[in-house]
Amino acid sequence: MSESVVHVSELTKVFKVPEREAGLRAAGKALIRRKTRDVHAVEAISFDIEPGEVVGFLGPNGAGKTTTLKMLAGLLYPTSGEARVLGHIPSRREKHYLRRMTMVMGNRNQLQWDIPALDSFELNRAIYRLRREDYLAMRDELVELLDVGDLVRKPVRNLSLGERMKVEIVGSLLHRPMVLFLDEPTIGLDVTMQKRIRTFVSEYNQRYGATVLLTSHYMADVEALCKRVIVIHHGQILFDGALANLANEFAAYKTIGVLLEDGSAELDSYGEVISRDGDRAVLRVPKAETSRVAARLLSEHEVLDLTIEEPPIEDVIEMVFAQSR
Amino acid sequence: MNTLRVGWLYFKVGVLNELQYRVNFFVQLLQSLIQVGTGLVMLSLVYSHTTELNGWKESELLSLLGVQILLGGFIHTFIQPNMELLMQDVQQGTLDYALTKPEDAQILVSVRQVRIWQVVEVISGLVLLIVGLNGVKSSIGAVDALAFAFALGIGGVLVYCFWLILTIGAFWVVRMEHVLELFEGIYQTGRWPVGVYPGWLRYSVTFLVPVAFAVTVPAQALTSRLHWPTLVLSVGFGVVLFAFTRWFWRFGLRHYSGASA
Amino acid sequence: MSSRAASLPEEGRLRSLVDFYSTQMRTSVVAQLQYRAANYFYMLGMVAEPVIYLVVWSTIAEQHGGAVNGITAGQFAAYYIVWTLVRNMNIVFGAPFWEWRIREGRLAGDLLRPLNILHYDLAYFAGWKFVVVGLWLPIAVGLSAVFHPDLHPSALEIVVFIIAIWGAYFVRSMFQATLGMLNFWTTRGAAVFDLYMATEMLLSGRLVPLALMPGWVQTLANFLPFKWTFGFPIESLVSNLSTRSLLLGLGAQVMWTVIGYVLFTFAWRAAIKRFSAVGA
Repeated sequence: MSESVVHVSELTKVFKVPEREAGLRAAGKALIRRKTRDVHAVEAISFDIEPGEVVGFLGPNGAGKTTTLKMLAGLLYPTSGEARVLGHIPSRREKHYLRRMTMVMGNRNQLQWDIPALDSFELNRAIYRLRREDYLAMRDELVELLDVGDLVRKPVRNLSLGERMKVEIVGSLLHRPMVLFLDEPTIGLDVTMQKRIRTFVSEYNQRYGATVLLTSHYMADVEALCKRVIVIHHGQILFDGALANLANEFAAYKTIGVLLEDGSAELDSYGEVISRDGDRAVLRVPKAETSRVAARLLSEHEVLDLTIEEPPIEDVIEMVFAQSR
Repeated sequence: MNTLRVGWLYFKVGVLNELQYRVNFFVQLLQSLIQVGTGLVMLSLVYSHTTELNGWKESELLSLLGVQILLGGFIHTFIQPNMELLMQDVQQGTLDYALTKPEDAQILVSVRQVRIWQVVEVISGLVLLIVGLNGVKSSIGAVDALAFAFALGIGGVLVYCFWLILTIGAFWVVRMEHVLELFEGIYQTGRWPVGVYPGWLRYSVTFLVPVAFAVTVPAQALTSRLHWPTLVLSVGFGVVLFAFTRWFWRFGLRHYSGASA
Repeated sequence: MSSRAASLPEEGRLRSLVDFYSTQMRTSVVAQLQYRAANYFYMLGMVAEPVIYLVVWSTIAEQHGGAVNGITAGQFAAYYIVWTLVRNMNIVFGAPFWEWRIREGRLAGDLLRPLNILHYDLAYFAGWKFVVVGLWLPIAVGLSAVFHPDLHPSALEIVVFIIAIWGAYFVRSMFQATLGMLNFWTTRGAAVFDLYMATEMLLSGRLVPLALMPGWVQTLANFLPFKWTFGFPIESLVSNLSTRSLLLGLGAQVMWTVIGYVLFTFAWRAAIKRFSAVGA
């Protein structure tokens, strides 16, 4: 497929991890003969991403999300399989490729520590060979979008974690890359900052049609930005599709919250009772039966309040992982 | 003596911890060999152009080199690790852990850490010393040997006090590590007889940074150069400095506790 | 939307590279001026070594009628004072810095950008040198007042010297960077580094002027890069080298820079393969 921005086929990454038991004798043996263990971080995954998509990679720690992203960014060599981004093989790290992509890693600094961010931006301008006018336009636009006007003149080490993340993002987008790899960009930030960054990524994607691959622990990131999610666990893809369908496939139920006049009413016949607190109860009901159960409740009991909700995405994800064991 | 027992316990833990890293032994061996090698090259170069330096013959200077490396090894094994840790504690505010233990804090911060593999350096210095003494014409009597051991002990105390005083400075001037870097450079002056240095430098390495007392005086004892007044002065200096260090430590602690409110 | 459209246009390669160097050097100066005190302490500590050598050799010279192998105390003073400047110019992004870079996880960021990694280091340290030279001047004046160096360089010698100290910087950068690659395979790179430093100390003119070394050592030194990082720059100013020697020396520096660069390129490729296999 020559049109897709990211093409991944049977991509695999196996790490050789040295293995050693505790104790002095084991340490001595280890000096002579190294025992290693194979860790299959990524196991023959395949997917394609079209231009302009914002795709979220979900998975617990060690699932293989960051490893996948690093292979696509060219930082890791795949053990086997194929990966192509913008038509390039990332591990070749061709300058032409590097100029059209960027990777932002949460909690990692690529800007220089002692100098104002503005000076680091100038360095990036020279590194990416930007024309002065293009650089200034892009820089000013990014600074405004992220509202970091007064922060860019302070040495980076004097900024708070969230402020640092924002200027890091500015620095990494000055060359207007078409592909963004964001690895846990909001980790450790407060809620306001997280929202700010999410809004920004969405803006950038809409303005420039850039393709964004995002990994995150925070469901809120994924819900806000990604129409499509790829769920990875133990190096394998468990789900690849629209976020909305995730619930349908793995958690086809809804929750009904009800406030009753008579708190002692028996509710087990309506569905699975998840919680009961005096007059309040929460029931879990198969999706197809929701309206029927709700109607029965309303007709058979004195109902003061009734709500019907989609299962929270966290629960869905938990179910996805639970099922995959 | 509970304090001694605690000190010994810390030492044991520190050593056992370090012993795990056997690679460090080989690395240290290599580094000591390099250090001894370059010292010997310099010595032989000097003595290819002369027979005597400030009245010291080659084997005598070899002994001096041995003492310098021996004491240097002692510093790197016992003194430096503790002082670096203390500095780190002050900078990061973790000194409180040491202060709230029931033992005397000064002893604690002075013995917590040991870099046991640096002992290789001490041994290499000892070897050089013995080889050097072999070539020294005059024999060494029991008195000389005793004076040597004594002077070396005083030297150790002096260097310990010096390091501790500088590290206590970190209570006020937080970035003291650069000053400690100076020490390694200045300690190199100990390899040569103090008499070769111009007056101001001689004074500095005797009283400001007590290298001369620590290194040259013990070597003088072994090469029959030691005059009693020098030894007495060295002892006196040691006592005074130790007392001052103790006072300064208490003074620094009061300041530290007040500051970290 | 096609993924090939909308990339920003590019400036010329050479122009951008010059731009990068001038920007980075300017930035380094500003950054390092903040650390004046730390720089000073380091330089003062470093001065102890040549002063010791100077004093020892001057003492020997005095004992033997004023000179050792024809080098007077005044000439020793000149040699070792110029030594301090050359030593400062010699400090490059070496093996210990590579260990830091890998340990702190900063390598990934540098690999993601389209610039050969050497440029970052060469440019940063080059800028730093200007701060260093400025801080060094008062130290040089002080040392001269105490030790009375015997120094009368010609105009040509001064020019060659200024070029030679940068030549030393480049030669040493290449070889140290190559050595730094060891850190991709072991955390004990420091041991090999010590070995390199010891060899360099003996064969470069750092310990003593090479003229005082036995003949076979001097011959050996001619075939290794160390002499061109230390002894040659110093001697270009201090000894009375012939014009031919001066120019040949500069040529040797160029040659060793190229050799070092080639070695580095091979080592770097292997290192990146290893880094990309193991990850960080």
